[in-house]
Amino acid sequence: MSIKLENVTKAYGIQAVVENFSLEIETGELFVLLGASGSGKSTLLRLIAGLIPLEKGRIELDGRDVTNLPPQARNTGFVFQNYSLFRHMTAAQNIEFGLDIRHLPRAERERRVNDLLHLIGLDDLGGRLPSQLSGGQQQRVALARALAYEPSVLLLDEPFGALDVKIRAQLRQNLLDIQRELKVTTILVTHDQDEAFELADRIGIIEGGKLLEVGAPSELYRRPQTRFTATFLGVANLLPGKRNGTHVYVGEATLSAPPNSDHLSGKPVELLVRPEEVELALHAENLRGQLIGRGIVQHIGFAGPLERVTVRLDDPNSPPLQVLLSPDEARSLAIQPNNAVWIGLRDYHLLPANGNQT
Amino acid sequence: MREIRPRTPVQWLLVLAALLYAGVLLLAPIFAIVQKALANGLQPVIDSLSEANVLHALQVTFWMTIAAVIINTIMGVVIAWVLTRQQFRGKRFLNLLVDIPFVFSPVIAGYTLIVLFGRTGWFAPTAFPIVFSLPGVLIASTFVSLPFVAREVGPVLGSLDREPEEAAYTIGASRWLTFRRVVLPGIWPGILYGVVLTLARALGEFGAVAVVGGGIEGQTETATMFVFRALNDRNEVGAYSMSLLLGLVAILVLILMRLVRHNTVTTEVVNNE
Repeated sequence: MSIKLENVTKAYGIQAVVENFSLEIETGELFVLLGASGSGKSTLLRLIAGLIPLEKGRIELDGRDVTNLPPQARNTGFVFQNYSLFRHMTAAQNIEFGLDIRHLPRAERERRVNDLLHLIGLDDLGGRLPSQLSGGQQQRVALARALAYEPSVLLLDEPFGALDVKIRAQLRQNLLDIQRELKVTTILVTHDQDEAFELADRIGIIEGGKLLEVGAPSELYRRPQTRFTATFLGVANLLPGKRNGTHVYVGEATLSAPPNSDHLSGKPVELLVRPEEVELALHAENLRGQLIGRGIVQHIGFAGPLERVTVRLDDPNSPPLQVLLSPDEARSLAIQPNNAVWIGLRDYHLLPANGNQT
Repeated sequence: MREIRPRTPVQWLLVLAALLYAGVLLLAPIFAIVQKALANGLQPVIDSLSEANVLHALQVTFWMTIAAVIINTIMGVVIAWVLTRQQFRGKRFLNLLVDIPFVFSPVIAGYTLIVLFGRTGWFAPTAFPIVFSLPGVLIASTFVSLPFVAREVGPVLGSLDREPEEAAYTIGASRWLTFRRVVLPGIWPGILYGVVLTLARALGEFGAVAVVGGGIEGQTETATMFVFRALNDRNEVGAYSMSLLLGLVAILVLILMRLVRHNTVTTEVVNNE
């Protein structure tokens, strides 16, 4: 276990920013902490690095209790959103800083710096000052600087937040490659769910300073335990219903209850359906998923690789459904607004109604 | 800012007024000193500056200025650090105090030093005399030039991004090492600019130094005090020669200041790209 947090709490005044936060992260894991701005995710990262003191709780890094240690003694690598390079030092000197203050022999330092410059793909730019590098290059130098002294954990605070979309995608791939190669335990903090999906071994959802849910990206997306996670990750269609016996009743429709939902039996539920799991057809018999009813197409919009369609179920209590169609589906359906369609569900998940807990 | 060439009579008049004002008040005295000092060639100047008591006055000025600059550079950075980085009771009071030498008349400052360190003062020295001796001159020079480094470094320190420092901490650098290797290079231009101003102030100080030091020839007399005495003694060549020398040093300091500022500005521009 590389990182172990027990009931970590941080408050500013009476306002708790991080509250009873407990988490264990495996050695070599890339853990993404996903939350909106102000959710306490950056504060948590700073607590782990020791940059701010905590009120309560315990932090263990590599099996060592570091709760009361200063940042210098924690052996973490920290990467900030705004790079925060030493402006008067060259890229190579920035990377060398951690080796220099550990008094490594010169030959060893040079070798490590060159290796790292190669790792981040900036072999020839070691002599440049940060001001002579692009944002993406600066952030790669910051990453190399944080990795140079082989920290026990790598902490990344919105590392790609200040970069262009294209550079961001490229850097994510770089980071993933480097992390896989060095197998350094990593926590990355972000508000960007695409980033979380692409990078994470596991994702933790943080909201109001509390850890709501932890899981593999696909698990959290398809089978979230809380309504917050369901709506925070991607677009969620939530339909009110009731589960009884082996069935779920949604409006006029009867669907089979998903496996492992027995604990919700006899209770009001919400049916979570992702837009790409909704199926539209002109004839009910063409549906391959489970029929949920008839509806009217309200709106069709272009969403790049997919078509975004809004349909309204006949049931007046039901909210409009968001649907994503592949170009192929869209062509064969050839629907227009105000067309009537049959609606089916390929996959769905049950959440307890009126609450966040299972 | 858009600049235009003057076209209307009013615009011409403004330019003329500025030039004339600066010319008469600032340029004319420089010309006068140069002209008077060199009226009989360079030899009298060299002769008068080679006199023993003149050399001594120059030495006193030199060492007192160096000492005041060193003390106020270190303490100026400390004051700036404390004022921008720490929260403590009396912070606003300290902030106010730092500017006292700006507003105090140097003569009054000198007088208060006599009151404090004189034979019957609160801090009357036992080991060695302060008033009418070199320690007094040093205290006076230090007093009048105290605010410059603190006031130049303060804003630079305040505008410094804190994250590189935090990065250094996580990398394992102690606070002192971080200050030396990360903070200091960032505030260096501010320090240099403050040093130049401190230097100019300590070099040219007359009032406080004259009151505390007493201007004893060959002992506590500084370069500026020598000029004053030479004028009283109708030693015009001596007065003008020393004035010329001090004037040259002052102009050198001014050019130095410009260079430092220019370098600072260009570094900023490069770094903001």
